[in-house]
Amino acid sequence: MSDKTISVLEGNNFVVSDLRGDIDASPTETQGLFAWDTRFLSRWLLTVDGQRPNVLSTDDLDYFYVQFFLVPGTGTIYVDADLSIMRKRAVGDGFHEDLTILNHKDKPVDLKVRMEAGADFADLFEVKDALKKKGEFYHRIERDRLVLGYRRDNFTRETVIAPSAKADIDEHGLSFAVHIEPHGEWTTCLNVVTGSIGFGEYREETTYGHGDQRARSNVKMSLKKAGEAIPRLSSDWPFLQVTYNRSIIDMAALRFYPMMLPGQALPAAGLPWFMTLFGRDSMIASYQALPFGSNLAVATLRALALRQGTRIDDFRDEEPGKIIHEVRFGEMTAFEERPHSPYYGAADVTPFFLILLDEVERWTGNAELVRQLEMEARAALRWIDEYGDRNGDGYVEYARRNQQTGLENQCWKDSWNSILFADGTLSRLPRATCEIQGYVYDAKMRSARLAREFWNDPALAERLESQAAELKRRFNQDFWLADRQFFALAIDGDGRKVDSLTSNIGHLLWSGIVDQDKADAIVGHLMGPRLYSGWGVRTMAEGEGGYNPIGYHVGTVWPHDNSFIAIGLRRYGYREEAARVAMNMLEAATYFKGRLPEAFAGYARELTEFPVEYPTACSPQAWASGAPLLLLRAILGLEPIGDHLIVDPAIPSMLGQIELLDIPGRWGRIDAFGRGRVDISAVEARLQPVTAKVVAQ
Amino acid sequence: MTDTTQTFFEHLAQRGYEPLLHSISGTVRWDIVDEGSWFVVVKNGSLSVDRDMAGADCMFVCSREDFDRMVVGKQNPITLYMQGKMKITGDARLAQMFQRLFPDESLSGGEQARKRGNEHE
Repeated sequence: MSDKTISVLEGNNFVVSDLRGDIDASPTETQGLFAWDTRFLSRWLLTVDGQRPNVLSTDDLDYFYVQFFLVPGTGTIYVDADLSIMRKRAVGDGFHEDLTILNHKDKPVDLKVRMEAGADFADLFEVKDALKKKGEFYHRIERDRLVLGYRRDNFTRETVIAPSAKADIDEHGLSFAVHIEPHGEWTTCLNVVTGSIGFGEYREETTYGHGDQRARSNVKMSLKKAGEAIPRLSSDWPFLQVTYNRSIIDMAALRFYPMMLPGQALPAAGLPWFMTLFGRDSMIASYQALPFGSNLAVATLRALALRQGTRIDDFRDEEPGKIIHEVRFGEMTAFEERPHSPYYGAADVTPFFLILLDEVERWTGNAELVRQLEMEARAALRWIDEYGDRNGDGYVEYARRNQQTGLENQCWKDSWNSILFADGTLSRLPRATCEIQGYVYDAKMRSARLAREFWNDPALAERLESQAAELKRRFNQDFWLADRQFFALAIDGDGRKVDSLTSNIGHLLWSGIVDQDKADAIVGHLMGPRLYSGWGVRTMAEGEGGYNPIGYHVGTVWPHDNSFIAIGLRRYGYREEAARVAMNMLEAATYFKGRLPEAFAGYARELTEFPVEYPTACSPQAWASGAPLLLLRAILGLEPIGDHLIVDPAIPSMLGQIELLDIPGRWGRIDAFGRGRVDISAVEARLQPVTAKVVAQ
Repeated sequence: MTDTTQTFFEHLAQRGYEPLLHSISGTVRWDIVDEGSWFVVVKNGSLSVDRDMAGADCMFVCSREDFDRMVVGKQNPITLYMQGKMKITGDARLAQMFQRLFPDESLSGGEQARKRGNEHE
């Protein structure tokens, strides 16, 4: 009856139900109670006298708390109900649900209330791929509770369901014989605990109890704390405030607390399916958030350092010094049917680790962190040269070691068909994508500073600087497509330049690897109609063979991608162009109530007039939530230099006056002010369609 | 027949220092079923081994067979734990760092054998 779902969560524990609060998982309905990448309830259906109730309203008051207001099902909703049904659900180590029924009649009623329960203990990967279980299911009916279990060797998962009211318990659920006096009510608690044996603690209780006045969740706490500590923004354009607040709240909701770092939160990649540590997403989001707080970045660096690769392991794509791609905890990971324990299949995250470490120090002056992570940073540098550069050509290229379940593309555009030639054909592995070379250049330049200032190793600093200079020199020759005046997307396994025009060239500006005399051409492409949709820079330019405005990495517009492009434009002095990217993306955000999606379609703005969301499973996504934060940095021109924060605004005139107060950093707290003086329409008018210049060889 | 379990701990004691554990200190207790206990004291990467100590910050419990498979590189410590075949209690960070000591290179037969992926091909 309802095709909408509602999600509530705490940490990696989440419930996806319909608007009645029911869970009815099927191959096409990915509902359930999930924890540690396992579905602990796949069925949770309420009936009253055999009928499923109808929805009056649903309130998700908080990320971890939801209320459902229902009336008995009658087949039609045009009958005045004389009973009300309320379900209040708080998530945390399972969930606690209060089920209350109110009798509005002046006569007593007797009802058969039934809660059907079932657990398929599917791994998240099985949910996605609809795979069969290899172990056995069991159940126990104890005196006052139902235990649903699953066992495969020593791997055991149990869901414990305990009602507070008297119930007849069978293996498929709980039945209540309910008698309610006139104008009276009946209520029961339903505790659903996600217990795991042999993994983590076996929990006996949910985080929240009935009417728990202490009800406090990690999420709620951090939301409140976040509201107190983050810089205050004001702007003449009210939507900016809306988007900013949305980003801050979403970033707080995306926090999770890894077991190995008690009390330290870091950003997960996306709600609800990606509530786990991702090297790339967690680092990018915490980089974007740095002007607004550094705790996420510090915790991310520490968590990634703990998981840094130490051995060669083909199955996990692990190599010494490599930073992880993704961690998972489900059955398929445990039994090595998937490599996420953790999986290391990403070639860009190891240089990014060095970039983030340096950037954190620039903002915070946290020298202790840089010294503590010296060994890990050195290991990351060794990885770049010894393992990242697989064939010794001076570039980092990737090809998966794990041929069965590894990722083919180990850059941020990680769908299998993202690295295409201009004629639409697929490039060959191993692939050296251009933006990774930019990251390596930046990582070495930044690490040189760290080596000189903190590790007392000027020889390493010099070596890194000379390697970086050589990389930049060669890159500007080897990747440059002279006839098309931009950098190739990649050099492939056959040594061919992958000649599609893509957003990756924008990341190169952020890294600083682009020769000054090539910047005009790059910016011309980024701002030109083939790459620029009117909302932002497309992942791939219109007119390329592989272009598809609704292709995941081959034509859609990604907010995080654009936020890095805007920062790159600022780095090379293209202030007005950066303001344009920021303004158009902030305008796009107004169509999503301030919450930018991970990606939207690459259709031209004139064509659709509003940004068309790309259907992804997760919302919010950390790096999309972080995008407005980095865009704010770009238009305010915030740059830490020594112990000072430079503020050099280039603000779109539409935004009017902007104030960002109490920006935290090594300077204490500083306020930034700016007035909108950049006329975006003038930038647009000045743009000429980019035509390829043929350069004589 | 070489006693793999015993040899692993002997090698740790001989190694004296392991840079991969430079950032951590604490006592790790291993209870290997039917074999007994070993204690490894880690101090910013320096290692010492004892058979009998009072307390520990972190404790591992597993079978000898599984332990030896980790030593020779045929079993990943993290998935052994996730499968419920190895219990870990106490300091999770210390446990995470300690698993870096597997496999023992001299017992795993060199780099090729260390590539865990071999079992999956």
